[in-house]
Amino acid sequence: MSVTTGPTPPSAPSRPTAPYPLLPLLGRGLAAGGLAGLLSGLFSLLLAEPLMDRAIRLEEQRSAAASHHGGHSHAAEAEELFSRGTQHLGLVVTAVVAGLALGVFFTLAHALVHRTAPQTGDRAWQRAMGLAGAGFLALSLLPALRYPANPPGVGDGGTVTERQALWLAALVIGVLGMVLARQVHLRLGAAGHGLPARQTGAALAVAATLAALFLLPDNPDPVPVPADLLWDFRVLSLASHVILWAVLGALFAAPALRRRRTPAPA
Amino acid sequence: MSPHTPGTTAPGAASPGAAAHPATVRTRDWLVVAAAAIVALIALYAVFVDNGNLIPATGSYLHEFAHDGRHLFGAPCH
Repeated sequence: MSVTTGPTPPSAPSRPTAPYPLLPLLGRGLAAGGLAGLLSGLFSLLLAEPLMDRAIRLEEQRSAAASHHGGHSHAAEAEELFSRGTQHLGLVVTAVVAGLALGVFFTLAHALVHRTAPQTGDRAWQRAMGLAGAGFLALSLLPALRYPANPPGVGDGGTVTERQALWLAALVIGVLGMVLARQVHLRLGAAGHGLPARQTGAALAVAATLAALFLLPDNPDPVPVPADLLWDFRVLSLASHVILWAVLGALFAAPALRRRRTPAPA
Repeated sequence: MSPHTPGTTAPGAASPGAAAHPATVRTRDWLVVAAAAIVALIALYAVFVDNGNLIPATGSYLHEFAHDGRHLFGAPCH
């Protein structure tokens, strides 16, 4: 083992002597996730909060008009607990918590899927970004296509349990769909098919997942919000998801790139 | 035992080399990550789903504090 061929011990032909560094990677996943959540939260604080404040003012106007007819003012009751300023802070804290939690799941999924692969170089970057993309599809884009985010003022307290069940079902279907897409990709490869067939198969699995999501019942609530406000909010919601996943994947993979500067035998 | 050279495996096609060349993960490490995943699930539930059932004494405080985050990330809100 004293051959001085190169600085990359993982290319040794026998079993790897060092185990997969799961705990250091967990630390890296937490750091990457926390920072990704913070960036995503600050982005939303700057761009999405003005929309949410506007949506809440519109909701107050609606309920003020309704209270003339004996309706109950849900906006006023919601505002008793926290000021809008505290809820703005809550948005950033929520994003950081979400980022930390997703960092843990990212690390776990990375270990399950990629623990046999080399942990350095461009391929390591590609794998981490691919996993981030899969996470975005499974937990963000596909569920959002079925149940798009709604600004404050949308959402009936009486249907919240039902909507939560539907949303959680959409998340589970999204994850199962990405597992299916990966299995199709791997099995087509094992059967000797080339990349076009494998990627087409994986794309069809994603399309089937989207179709399955539309078998779920519709969101039962009305959306009494101006269309421009609604869609600006939905686009910003998706943008904050994109930032979260992209930064998480990039920071998770970044140390692998730094190590690559040492010349590796190709 | 075929040599597992990085660069010869197609992206996402780790299975042939994987069977012959498993990277070991310590059982203790798996347990730590599993525990972290459970904590992460509870945290996500508290922030995005809970309506005062997790810790009854907190009432609607958790929900209202995370209110904007729930709307933004697409979680159902009241």
